[in-house]
Amino acid sequence: MATLTQVGQQVGQVGRSVPRLESRAKVSGSAEYVYHVAVPGMLHGKIVRSSVAHGRIRRLDTSGARAQPGVYAVITGQDVLRVMPDPHYGPAFHDQPVLALDKVRFVGDPVAVVLAEDPHVAEEAAALVEVEYEELPAVFDELEAARPGAPLVHEVIRPATTFADLKHLAGRSGTNVAMEYHLRRGDVEEAFARADYVFEDVFRTQQTAHLPLEPFVCLAHPEGPDRLVIYTATQSPSFVRSEVARLLGWPENRVRVRTAFLGGGFGAKLYIKLEALAAACCLLAGRPVKITLSMEEQFLTITRHPTTFRIRSGVTRDGRIVARACEVWWNGGAYADISPRVTQKSGFTASGPYDIENVRIDSYVVYTNRPPTGALRGFGIPQLVWAYESHTDIIAHRLGMDPVEFRRINLLSNGQPHATGTPLTDTATREVLEALAKAMEWDKPLERGSGRYRRGRGIAIGLKACVAPTTSCATVVLYGDGSVAVLAGTVDMGQGSDTALAQIAAETLGLQAEQVRVVHPDTDVTPYDMATLGSRSLFHMGNAVKQAAEQVRDQLLAIAARALEADAEQLVVRDGAVWAPGGQSLSFKELMVHRFGMQAGTLVGTGTYLPPYAKPDPETGQSEEITPFWMVGGCGAEVEVDTYTGRVRVLRLVNAADVGRAINPAIVRTQLNGASLMQLGMTLMEEMVLEQGQVVNASLAAYKIPGFGDVPPVVEAVLVEMPHRHGPFGAKGVGETGTFAVSAAVANAIYDAVGVRIRELPITPERLLAALRRSGGAGSQEGEEG
Amino acid sequence: MSDFELCEPGSLEEALALLDPQDPSVRVVGGGTALVLMMKQRVFHPTRLVSLRRLAGQLRGIMRGERGLQVGAMTTLRELEQSALVARTAPVLSRALPRLANVRVRNQATLGGHLAHGDPHMDLPPILLAMGARVQATSPRGSRWVPLEELYLGYYETSLARDEVVTWVEIPELPADTRGAYVKFCYLSAEDWPAVGVAVFFRLEGGQFSQVRLAVGACTERPVRISRAETLLNGERPSPAVLEAAAQAAAGEVQPVSDLLGSAEYKREMVRVHVREALEQALVGGGR
Amino acid sequence: MSGPNGAGAFRTIRFRLNGRPVEMAVRAFETLADVLRRTGQVGSVRESCGQGLCGTCTVLVDGLAISSCLYLAALADGAEIQTVEGLASGEKLHPLQQAFVDCGAFQCGFCTPGMILTGLQLLRENPDPDEEEIRRYLSGNLCRCGAYPEIVRAIRQAARNGREEAGT
Repeated sequence: MATLTQVGQQVGQVGRSVPRLESRAKVSGSAEYVYHVAVPGMLHGKIVRSSVAHGRIRRLDTSGARAQPGVYAVITGQDVLRVMPDPHYGPAFHDQPVLALDKVRFVGDPVAVVLAEDPHVAEEAAALVEVEYEELPAVFDELEAARPGAPLVHEVIRPATTFADLKHLAGRSGTNVAMEYHLRRGDVEEAFARADYVFEDVFRTQQTAHLPLEPFVCLAHPEGPDRLVIYTATQSPSFVRSEVARLLGWPENRVRVRTAFLGGGFGAKLYIKLEALAAACCLLAGRPVKITLSMEEQFLTITRHPTTFRIRSGVTRDGRIVARACEVWWNGGAYADISPRVTQKSGFTASGPYDIENVRIDSYVVYTNRPPTGALRGFGIPQLVWAYESHTDIIAHRLGMDPVEFRRINLLSNGQPHATGTPLTDTATREVLEALAKAMEWDKPLERGSGRYRRGRGIAIGLKACVAPTTSCATVVLYGDGSVAVLAGTVDMGQGSDTALAQIAAETLGLQAEQVRVVHPDTDVTPYDMATLGSRSLFHMGNAVKQAAEQVRDQLLAIAARALEADAEQLVVRDGAVWAPGGQSLSFKELMVHRFGMQAGTLVGTGTYLPPYAKPDPETGQSEEITPFWMVGGCGAEVEVDTYTGRVRVLRLVNAADVGRAINPAIVRTQLNGASLMQLGMTLMEEMVLEQGQVVNASLAAYKIPGFGDVPPVVEAVLVEMPHRHGPFGAKGVGETGTFAVSAAVANAIYDAVGVRIRELPITPERLLAALRRSGGAGSQEGEEG
Repeated sequence: MSDFELCEPGSLEEALALLDPQDPSVRVVGGGTALVLMMKQRVFHPTRLVSLRRLAGQLRGIMRGERGLQVGAMTTLRELEQSALVARTAPVLSRALPRLANVRVRNQATLGGHLAHGDPHMDLPPILLAMGARVQATSPRGSRWVPLEELYLGYYETSLARDEVVTWVEIPELPADTRGAYVKFCYLSAEDWPAVGVAVFFRLEGGQFSQVRLAVGACTERPVRISRAETLLNGERPSPAVLEAAAQAAAGEVQPVSDLLGSAEYKREMVRVHVREALEQALVGGGR
Repeated sequence: MSGPNGAGAFRTIRFRLNGRPVEMAVRAFETLADVLRRTGQVGSVRESCGQGLCGTCTVLVDGLAISSCLYLAALADGAEIQTVEGLASGEKLHPLQQAFVDCGAFQCGFCTPGMILTGLQLLRENPDPDEEEIRRYLSGNLCRCGAYPEIVRAIRQAARNGREEAGT
């Protein structure tokens, strides 16, 4: 039975705040990003995009562009067919064409690509490609799109069957509902009838964009007559290889995918984005092709789902939630991307981290004519927590109970079964809530102010299940001189995975993390990894690296046992050497010389991690093993509301998280706080505004993301360590945890400050001021507006 | 961006000769931050840009003259921000500058360009409008002084002819006992352009408002003086009721534009809130 | 002259990049970010928002931070241009770079060079900025990973180290 440990308890490589291995490179400009990669003879591609939200291409005239001096070629969907007979891709459904073939489905859908040696020429010529559309009725709202008779975004939906967890997806036609998930536990209607009170709310979220500062970039170039190398800023090199190979009808060993550091990812750079397009252009042109998107184009590539969440809870007089019904509608945009996984994997947590006997969840993803939506740091969880934790607060206030106390009564405890039936193994739900309450000094009164500025505080807590089942493979090699490299497909996009994996290998091999080299993903060299997403890498790849390092260690011990004439079981690795109980030691290099007769040879260890998984029942959504580990994230916010303008200033943001075991506490803190600031932007300011399907604020000038001035004066992380029995050294993933509860914590704090409830993100000043005015002004505790 | 001719004349006469009164695709460029942005966004395709960079020696600097500060059009916003003379004679301007755009823009952008661009979202136009500043516009026909009130005609629209160049800016030195404040309201991010900017200057004579100058910018198509509120205040003793009446008069007078920074209705309310706030700030000690 | 004539007319400009002379043929429409990238010497200059708002393309021109994505390259003729590549003395990082490392003031690192250069101009002007001044001064530099608190800490630490060095 796992118990809480203190942060930094162990001294060694694990628990040590190693500065990122690439620190020097990042402060001196030499860190490698795909953005900089160039090869001789390279062409630049500029994408021509649809100007209508839904339409059939009637005429596509590229002659004007082709006539421009310096234009090498203009590629259209028809051209792509010459190298990709069925050019539809996608991780869940094969619904997205490399370039539009007959139909366009959103404003920004790629229609053609202009290739030129000079990117300025490509850009100028792209404006000369003429496209005529027969416009079709378009639909943008998820509820409207699900209604019978709505315009159909896709006439037929074909499942991809690539990922094990999405094998159950079925093809459909005649509907925009791409996929649905249902959970049934107990008898919800009977429990509602029995409950003392029933509360129902509807919450909505907006479409937002990831906006890593390094926009999407990809370079495809031929290597010899029958091979293709793709340098791409991707979080999923293994998937890119298999998907591009599938599209080309090639074996995977003819496609080589390489990455570098990513200038941010946040879930945007997953699956296929530019890679299939760059590959097709490269093969058609017979020359290397690089496509670099602009900031504006990022808004048209992948975004976060808008949602509508109807939630209904039955509660007893003494504050027990006895029933909860959740109906979640995810707006999938024009192409499904990974929406079905969000719909299921996040959908099944929609009832929250609560112990509720009767639960019903219905989760639907719907095609619309918006830019496509996918995974964005939290995989749908922030949208759900926003709703269920606002709702939970509403109930607590209606019952006249303290919000923390109300959660105490209802929260699931470590070991208890979740609504899916899977137990919360080594999961610090209560511990996170208590750590949060303590950090927020919840038992002390708060000065709320009485004039123009009112203060309030709020908390929220969310639960996520790490995606399953997924595989990570790793190789650890020890060279003739005793130095060590980790070959792993995990992509370091800022989360510090290189450093963490080096720490795990170093801990296992008795080295300093700084001595370990982590080789960046190159599918010719690094073994398979499902992808860097969903906070899965530290757990999965960490385990694979640990296994691989243990294999190398065991080989070293065996060599040393012979050399030292000792029992291998009594030997230990430390400081780059193997030590016998008597104090004799041989360095790794000496051991290699002993084994190979000179400084030569390679020791190789391999590791594979695929956690157990039980597919949920298709009718009830029940499963005994739905996730390898649960993630718990809580947030506390103190806000100041300007009741004259509706502007909210967050004064303090506390992020408490169950991190299992912090491999690198400093990086964990930065991860949690950074994630919370991103979510704070999506709570208060970020929103893609569409007019007739066109994103009218697709730039950092009009779509504001948090800057220095928006950061709360106090941002702090509280690490709760409940080691997971299967985590490497007890660790759990934390890349997303800081996002979960921010929106609801802020909304709850606003309610605490001014007594109005906002049910739609973002909480803009105008929206809040209007709600304040409707409620009769600040201080009114009756206000339930928004 | 498409190709164009980039000229760097060494004299003003040469620069003026390169301009074309008929051709909107020929423009003068100071620091270039605004124009290059428009070019990158493909909303402006120049055939010729006339850089005044080599004229910086003649058109740069801050001097104190009889009527106030004389500032060369090629003076950067950053030079203005760091000028001790500006801090002494126009502290409201000094205080506004560190919060204008970002430091890179202020390093590069010039005062002439900032004013001639006609962008309604800028911070200095309402301040300088309230102060009664004017710009010297020079063309092959000679020079003329244009008060800011006459400079701004509409959204990105000024009264400058296509062959006129802003060469100097005159910022009157207000009487030493003038109080003033500039308040800007940023809507979503603290780092955004203002949704509303309010500049106010006045004196208290015998405890009564006098020479009130009030201007609002950012929320309207062009920065505007709010004469109704000025009239209402002049001769009155400061009181919450008087300030509120002025704020409401200002809100009633402006014609805000609905956009991503708020509806017209919301901005009108923000004008009320921030006019009142500007008056209060100036009363509690904001020097001119 | 107009139209999408990519070839464009070239002119030769000369400038110093981190102390070394550079001579390049540039076209009127090219920005400093475009041509610095072409030198292949400065991986730290990265265009992101393309509008002078994010700060990832920051370089110092004659000691002043500017957005190289909004700066016409031709106007850099004769300038002294500095990037983070020129800050270290041999193996020894500049104290501000070192402070960024020590404070873990970055995640993905894409914005880091711009943050450092803007911080450098700040510390040259004001060796002892408080937290509010740092935030205000760097307000035009964005970090999507949200390493803002650590960046403020790093600049504070570099200022403190700088004062200690000056004092001893």
